[in-house]
Amino acid sequence: MSELELVAPPGAQLARLAATLGARVAAKEGAERELELRFYDTFDGRLRRAGLVLAHVREAGAGGSPGRLVLCARPGSEVLMAAADQAVAGGAGVAAGADPGAGAAGLAVVPAVAPQGPMFARDLPAGRLRDRLATVSSPRALLGLAEVRAHVLELSLRDRLEKTIARGALVSAQPAGQSPGSPAAALRLRLHLRALRGYEAELVALRGSLEALSLTAAGEPLVDEAARAAGRAPEGVSSAISVALLATQRSDAAAVAVLRRLGEVVQANRAGAIAALDPEFLHDLRVALRRTRTVLKQLRGVFDPQALAHFREEFRWLAGQTSAARDLEVQLAEWEALAALAGERWRADLEPVAEVLARRRELALRACGRALGGERARRLAFEFGELLDGLVAQDESRRPDAARAIGALAGERIRSVYGRMRRRGGQITLSSPATDYHELRKQGKELRYLLELFGRPLFGADAVREPIGVLKDLQDVLGRHQDREAQIALLASLAGELARMPGGPAALMACGVLIERLHEDELAARREFAERFAPFAGGRIRALIREGLR
Amino acid sequence: MSQVLATYNIKGGVGKTSAAVNLAVLAARGGARTLLWDLDPQAAATYLFRVKPRLRGGSRKLVRLRSEVHALIKETDYAGLDLLPADFSYRHLDLALDSVKKPTRRLARVLEPLADEYAYIFLDCPPSISLVSESVFEAADALLVPIIPATLSARTFAQLSQLIEQGRLAQVLVLAFFSMLDVRKSLHREVMARLRAEHPRELLGAAIPTADEVERMGETRTSVAEIAPGGRAALAYEALWWDVRRRLAATSTVSGGRSPRPLPRRGA
Repeated sequence: MSELELVAPPGAQLARLAATLGARVAAKEGAERELELRFYDTFDGRLRRAGLVLAHVREAGAGGSPGRLVLCARPGSEVLMAAADQAVAGGAGVAAGADPGAGAAGLAVVPAVAPQGPMFARDLPAGRLRDRLATVSSPRALLGLAEVRAHVLELSLRDRLEKTIARGALVSAQPAGQSPGSPAAALRLRLHLRALRGYEAELVALRGSLEALSLTAAGEPLVDEAARAAGRAPEGVSSAISVALLATQRSDAAAVAVLRRLGEVVQANRAGAIAALDPEFLHDLRVALRRTRTVLKQLRGVFDPQALAHFREEFRWLAGQTSAARDLEVQLAEWEALAALAGERWRADLEPVAEVLARRRELALRACGRALGGERARRLAFEFGELLDGLVAQDESRRPDAARAIGALAGERIRSVYGRMRRRGGQITLSSPATDYHELRKQGKELRYLLELFGRPLFGADAVREPIGVLKDLQDVLGRHQDREAQIALLASLAGELARMPGGPAALMACGVLIERLHEDELAARREFAERFAPFAGGRIRALIREGLR
Repeated sequence: MSQVLATYNIKGGVGKTSAAVNLAVLAARGGARTLLWDLDPQAAATYLFRVKPRLRGGSRKLVRLRSEVHALIKETDYAGLDLLPADFSYRHLDLALDSVKKPTRRLARVLEPLADEYAYIFLDCPPSISLVSESVFEAADALLVPIIPATLSARTFAQLSQLIEQGRLAQVLVLAFFSMLDVRKSLHREVMARLRAEHPRELLGAAIPTADEVERMGETRTSVAEIAPGGRAALAYEALWWDVRRRLAATSTVSGGRSPRPLPRRGA
């Protein structure tokens, strides 16, 4: 064991504990500092899942000092240590060492002013910190998780030869903005110790002495405790849907459970999508809306037809309000790859196109934000919640599937959608209109959602793994076909605006070349379609869906 | 890839350990991950770093590659500087090397797993001409040879040059420097001048003066930079370290001689 993280009983005082440690385990006091810490993670806790801690650290009252961004492995005590200062002073601003996240107490540090809003890895100075963060967090924004003011007393433990065997710190922290000394505000007094290399056994031997001082293992690191104190979940907010279902459960109750969870995802991502913090908020919200619409359509027999028609229309409206913004975000995110299709010769000429797309995206994001935050969307959320609350108790005379076992109903719907896809896909040829491919793709999404939302929990992951895998391959080529169609239409729609811009004529010509390339790729996707559709429609998947989901 | 620097002289008491310790501390302070391997059974460097002179399995297991070298390393109190300690079993290091195949390659093999972890590895060598020293010559990129500017020391340097020539160890860069220099002594000044004229390539410009703070290292068990920061000895070691690095860099750009790869920087 090379690290110990212990907490003192509530009410413990730093100075008294330091003195006790000095007397009992020969702890020697070092630098004492007041730090302002701001911890960051993505909305869905990607850094935490990767075993990383990211914090901006600044000496309190340090005047113009910008502080530094520190990235290290969990539990993250390095953010508190003076070693971070050395890493900035001694290196070229970024210390390369053991890779943070690889289990070693490595550090990556850059001098930086505390970001005031969301931060992206791509905006940080080039170096290890940016590279590591980008791998883990992109394309998500790094959002403030918790702010803490910490009084840090560095300690070192020595053996009888006066050799340092462990270094660490006593940390007395409280959420920023709380008045010092307020008992309700303070986080637990912590002792962090890291054994020097080669002295792990000595640290283990000391543990008993430390525990005799009523120090107990910290159940969580400072970053997690601070996040909870700030009212946030340290693990982040997941948009995964994993609702436990019983095959014998009433179908309307099963639908309510799944739709409630989908509603939670929509609400969780709403604020971030309105503020356009990062593209994933809108993406996750739209996926949740599509899944909601699939459940309403495929399990329509558990709803009153009149209510169903209303809510299907409202969700259709809401999804429609988000389409343009999402499409433009995706186009811009993939712009470099898209422009590269036209060839190097035309890249520079395509710059005005990127400008137009960016302008349109900003407008679309604002419109999307207004819709999501508007009265109609709020009313939809409220009324749909009320519908779900009362659904199971509703009269069943107009809800023929309400009391049916969800196992039977879900299997039936999956088989039905699959059968329609086989028939539709079997009629698609190279010369079929684009809408045929698009309709098949829409059905593919419905099938996938049914398999994920109902198939997996009802029949087990093994039963749906292969069908989902083969469906994904088919959806990839259908998606590529649809994307190229949409991109061609979008570029064509820019003609008028481009013509009026500086560099417009050249941009139009370059667009023409790009559209030609996109068209070629669309044809290529059509040619690949048959190869991807065959295993999907083939005997094995057919048998798995017909027999395995009952 | 590590650069291996061995402080070596056939004579004892010339400042090898002081140089190894002070240069290693400077290297680590400059941001380079550094290891010092104490090869002397006296374990003087081990003592200076306050580490117990005890090696699990002893030197025999280590050179037989039956000990995992990473597990034997101790972190010193200096950030970025680690120690592979010596213990009394090192008095039989020659015998241990003699019992293995290709003994003169063996120390290099022990260091191989560490090549990507450290920018610099210092070897503090015992005063001897032996299998240990031959193995050091094969493992090292450079020999740092402290010479007290007196007649007998000069003779020792000549013997060393001959030894290296005979061993056809042309890849080892020999960097000698004057140690324990007392400029008040005319003999020191005369020997210095003569040896600089005779060995302009091997002798570095920096020289370590005789200084109270160097002698007090054994009392305080710290480097000279802590005993007397900005003192003559501390400044001299800084100049020496600068000189060594300059010569290493120059060697790497000239064909022949080991070419060091870009040095890994120290993490915290």
